[in-house]
Amino acid sequence: MPDTSPRPVPAPDPLTQPFWDATAAHRLEIQRCAACGYYNHPPKRLCDQCTSPDLGYAEVSGRGKVYSFTVMRQTSIAGFEDKVPYTTMLVELEEQPQLLLAATVPGAGDGIAINQPVELWWEPIEDGFVLPQFRPIA
Amino acid sequence: MTWASRGKTAVVGIGTSKISRKAEKPLGLLALDACRAALEDAGVKPEEVDGLVTYPDQPFLGAGNRDGEDLVTVNFLIDHGGLAKDIKWYSQISSGMIPSAFIEGVHALASGTCNYVLVWRAMHLPQGTYGAWRSNRAGGDTQFTAPFGAANPFQWHGLAYQRYMDTYGAKREHMATLVTNSRRNANLNEAAYFYSQPMSFEDYMNARMISDPLSLFDCDIPVEGCIALLLTTGDRATGLKQKPAYIAGFGQQATKRPSLTTYTMDDHMICGGSTTSKIWEMSGLGPKDIGAAQLYDGFSPSTYYWLEAAGFCGRGEAWQFVQDGRIALEGELPVNTFGGSLSEGRLHGMGHLAEAVRQVTGRAGPRQVVDCHASIALDGSPMLRNAGILFTSEP
Repeated sequence: MPDTSPRPVPAPDPLTQPFWDATAAHRLEIQRCAACGYYNHPPKRLCDQCTSPDLGYAEVSGRGKVYSFTVMRQTSIAGFEDKVPYTTMLVELEEQPQLLLAATVPGAGDGIAINQPVELWWEPIEDGFVLPQFRPIA
Repeated sequence: MTWASRGKTAVVGIGTSKISRKAEKPLGLLALDACRAALEDAGVKPEEVDGLVTYPDQPFLGAGNRDGEDLVTVNFLIDHGGLAKDIKWYSQISSGMIPSAFIEGVHALASGTCNYVLVWRAMHLPQGTYGAWRSNRAGGDTQFTAPFGAANPFQWHGLAYQRYMDTYGAKREHMATLVTNSRRNANLNEAAYFYSQPMSFEDYMNARMISDPLSLFDCDIPVEGCIALLLTTGDRATGLKQKPAYIAGFGQQATKRPSLTTYTMDDHMICGGSTTSKIWEMSGLGPKDIGAAQLYDGFSPSTYYWLEAAGFCGRGEAWQFVQDGRIALEGELPVNTFGGSLSEGRLHGMGHLAEAVRQVTGRAGPRQVVDCHASIALDGSPMLRNAGILFTSEP
């Protein structure tokens, strides 16, 4: 397998298509329960909190903080082999405790700290997809 | 309420195949080696075995699925084991790790369905990079992680461990105590992959980093091999070759989890506690009664989380608890007395079960814990599906 293998791109399904439609328009929308207001991510058929099937998407602020991070020194993920070291962050959005999104930061995590505020930016990738990414605010 | 069938079933035989990185024979033959050895150990004939149960899953998602090569199913044993002509009962589970299969065997015996149950776990080590992500399409929940370069189990554990260290003040040097203790125990276990290789504090601290704060030595060592246990009823158990290890209680994780891809620092207490609270209730025993604890260590921090979830110490205290010789063979709570998955090899928790049996029956040789009358084996990540068994020396 060559080092230039393509990185994974999302394979949306009816449940997740609205998320990727929104990011393509630079809006961050998370599945939200119409019955209880709980945000479900990844999206579900039934609400994680109240089991209601009445689920839609709602725009969120994109503000949050670093829940945790890990520095990837080696990886066997296609398309990322030549990007090490890079840092995987979990970002906790301000809308709900433990509403966590993955994000990628180049480098070995220098200056990243848990609970540090982050800001949202948009990364276009293959096939017209746009990833919601986050970077720590100094 | 103490379990009505406490002490009415027992493990009476242990069999271990060769454990290696590159097996000389196919996995199916290693499984037969282990099963035959368990029967010989007990003094039970193959044709007396009338019950079978396993958790046959591949070592990671996407590995092969040929029976006898990549995994070993119940069908393989029926076809090749030389067992009873018409097996009375079998089960093959796909959730809850090997203790959940073991628990099914206990149920079958306690209900009088069969007389002897073989339970085994055969682990294949595929060629190539372990758990590599090769697809350029990420479906299901992975569409929110793999495009971000997050698709290895060690990343999720690295993230959780970083949060743990930050929240409770643990450092890598604290984990060195746990990991080198397991290696010391493996150096007393001839079956262990790392039997002849010691590990010093410096070795651990200088290890190559994988997914900070996880280093190479915080990850278990993938191997190929099989361990089998023979179970029977309490009344049959006393007339055989070995001293029985009685089943005093068991538990399975059954709580809701918000997500299967991201671990939070609540999950281990909730999900691990779901299992251990049932074990304590069924057995009527508690953490203070345990002579040796076999706590899953696919990644080393899982052992911290089990110590806390099971109540051996308080939340956030495991990194201190493991210091000062407390978890050594001579300590107050010897942990992973056989070396764990970190140093014996990744048999997905089966090694933990076998060692708990050895410790309560006085069969652990140079690593035997003095006066060990109860040993608990907790299998799987405390943040995911997991299960455990408590063994005692008396019914």
